[in-house]
Amino acid sequence: MAAEVELERVTKFYGTFKAVDDVSLIIKKGTFVSVLGASGAGKSTVLRMIGGFEFPDYGTLRIAGRDITMLPPYKRDVNTVFQNYALFPHMTVAENVAYGLRQDGIGTDERKKRVRDALSMVEMLPFAERKPNQLSGGQQQRIALARALVKRPSVLLLDEPLGALDRKLRQQMQVELKLLQSQLGLTFIFVTHDQEEALAMSDSIAVMRNGRVEQLGGPTELYDTPATAFVAGAIGTQNFISGRRLGNDLMMQSDDGAVFQVGRAAPGLAAGVRVLGAVRPENVALARAEPLSVPNRLLARVTASVMLGDTLEFLLTFKDGKEFISRIPRRNAEVPNPGTEVWAYWAPESLNLYPFEDLQVNTNAVRKDGN
Amino acid sequence: MRLGKTETDVTSSIPIQRTRNRFLPRWAMAWPALGWWLVFFVIPLAWIVVYSFGAKPAPGMQGPVSLSQLSFDNYTSALSDIFFRVFVITMKTAGIGTILCAIVGFPVAYALALHVPARWRTLLVFLLILPYWTSFLLRTFAWRIILAPQGTFSHALEYLGVITQPLAILDTNTAVQLGIIYNYLPVMILPMYVSLDRIDGSLLRASMDLGAGPFRTFWQVTLPLAAPGILGGLLLTFILAAGDYVVPTILGGTKGLMVGNLVATQILSAQNLPLGAAMAVLLIILLALVIAVAGLAIFTVSRSLKLMRGAAL
Repeated sequence: MAAEVELERVTKFYGTFKAVDDVSLIIKKGTFVSVLGASGAGKSTVLRMIGGFEFPDYGTLRIAGRDITMLPPYKRDVNTVFQNYALFPHMTVAENVAYGLRQDGIGTDERKKRVRDALSMVEMLPFAERKPNQLSGGQQQRIALARALVKRPSVLLLDEPLGALDRKLRQQMQVELKLLQSQLGLTFIFVTHDQEEALAMSDSIAVMRNGRVEQLGGPTELYDTPATAFVAGAIGTQNFISGRRLGNDLMMQSDDGAVFQVGRAAPGLAAGVRVLGAVRPENVALARAEPLSVPNRLLARVTASVMLGDTLEFLLTFKDGKEFISRIPRRNAEVPNPGTEVWAYWAPESLNLYPFEDLQVNTNAVRKDGN
Repeated sequence: MRLGKTETDVTSSIPIQRTRNRFLPRWAMAWPALGWWLVFFVIPLAWIVVYSFGAKPAPGMQGPVSLSQLSFDNYTSALSDIFFRVFVITMKTAGIGTILCAIVGFPVAYALALHVPARWRTLLVFLLILPYWTSFLLRTFAWRIILAPQGTFSHALEYLGVITQPLAILDTNTAVQLGIIYNYLPVMILPMYVSLDRIDGSLLRASMDLGAGPFRTFWQVTLPLAAPGILGGLLLTFILAAGDYVVPTILGGTKGLMVGNLVATQILSAQNLPLGAAMAVLLIILLALVIAVAGLAIFTVSRSLKLMRGAAL
């Protein structure tokens, strides 16, 4: 049955590199939790420690309240779907799925029944006698899933299992994985660098950065009220404006002097400090005439427009060279040609303030230094 | 639950477009290798087979072999007691040598592939083949110094009390056995190392993840995946050792004979090329038989182990 996973002040070094830095995390039983982060953020290390392939230098890991910190992988009630599937090439599909049951000494009749059930669950029963190299990536993925689930673990670990699939198949598998998880009621821990994937599938998401968990929360919470500028930029897209908070008000002044009204300031943000203002592209509207009734507006030049299917994305450049992105539903959009001048404006509620931090590496929106 | 239809799975169904040259067949590129193989392997071997049916030329005749009358006479005289005795000794020496090479070599290959840090591997593999940079003859000859009754090794063993009399293994089968193991150890280690090195580490992790301890993982994953390299190493070592004639010549004296010596004696000393050729052909046939029997035994064992495990589905 599903179990709760708990990490308590876990730290892991590789040589002198701190891969995981004092992470505490409680993953509730029966939930689908994603660990989201860029490469090197420590997400895979966290997964490997839960799986038993790495041991933490400090801290404790518990599954269903039991300390498993130093237990080898074969003594844990956890199974993993590996990034490259790791199917045994010298065994048939059926042998691969039966492997875990053989190790547990499950009787022949039950073993065969469970292998059959697991293979039909992923609709791969007709392929039972094939070798893994005779299967496509998506099919191998299903076998890897069946092989891990046939042991009925209380926790299933998934290490970027959809990374090698093409986009359409990936979206299909996302839905199937999510359905499977809610039907089996198991705890799924899903490592990914794809924020869309994390948003689509998870009950909650742990955003990791430099070995630390930056924020743990549900998809809506992370999208609407990110705790830091990093999380704001990591989930969805943001336009960032660097500047200073005006006193203790919900106001900011950007580096080039423009004053904006703000909807929300991150908790604990002091008066007058350097801040990053963030506004999402879908909240930035465009107008030819100056929208005098809106307090947050800037004159910009359209540098490029990109067609995204149901939306249009405009790349804007301000006089000082800063760039901004605006995303508008297509049916509402009148299409300004590249080179024309427009007013970009957004409502105060959509501008949030975060403590200033260096996001150069992590943001694809506005460069904060403006040169 | 039902997962979506597998028909939508298109990741592997895109055929690779290949442009083909109308005028040159695809195997044209293989001609240099095929030609080499034909000229330097197939034709000489065919001549050996033809020679084996000939006769020693009468005094005053031209050429090494008289082919005017073909007969099985050489085979009848080759299949003597001495040939079989030496053949059995050869199989024993090569067989024991191969097994001991495997016993010593496998842990080396295993440690090298799976436990030595990657940055040391190249250096260690290099050190492994370094002795091959000196002459085979010279290296084998050096063993005469080591194994000599008055040599350092003998003195050391006497000093340690392992033996009471000077070491008397030089010019015997024991010395040949040692020389064979020494010379063919790298031939065993390298293919083993290559096959072990190619095993994806995530497969071993997957095995542990599915509940198999290190010992079971070794038997069920590592060993089967390394099997081609292990079998290749066994075969290569056995064939090379069985056909060796340098080691018994240098270290075996008159007692440590192998079939290679018999063939060489007929061709070089007795000037009887047809008889030597017949012995060489017999060696090839008997070796093939021995290897076929060994292969069948391995196949039977692995098949019955599989049957004992029972079907997965």
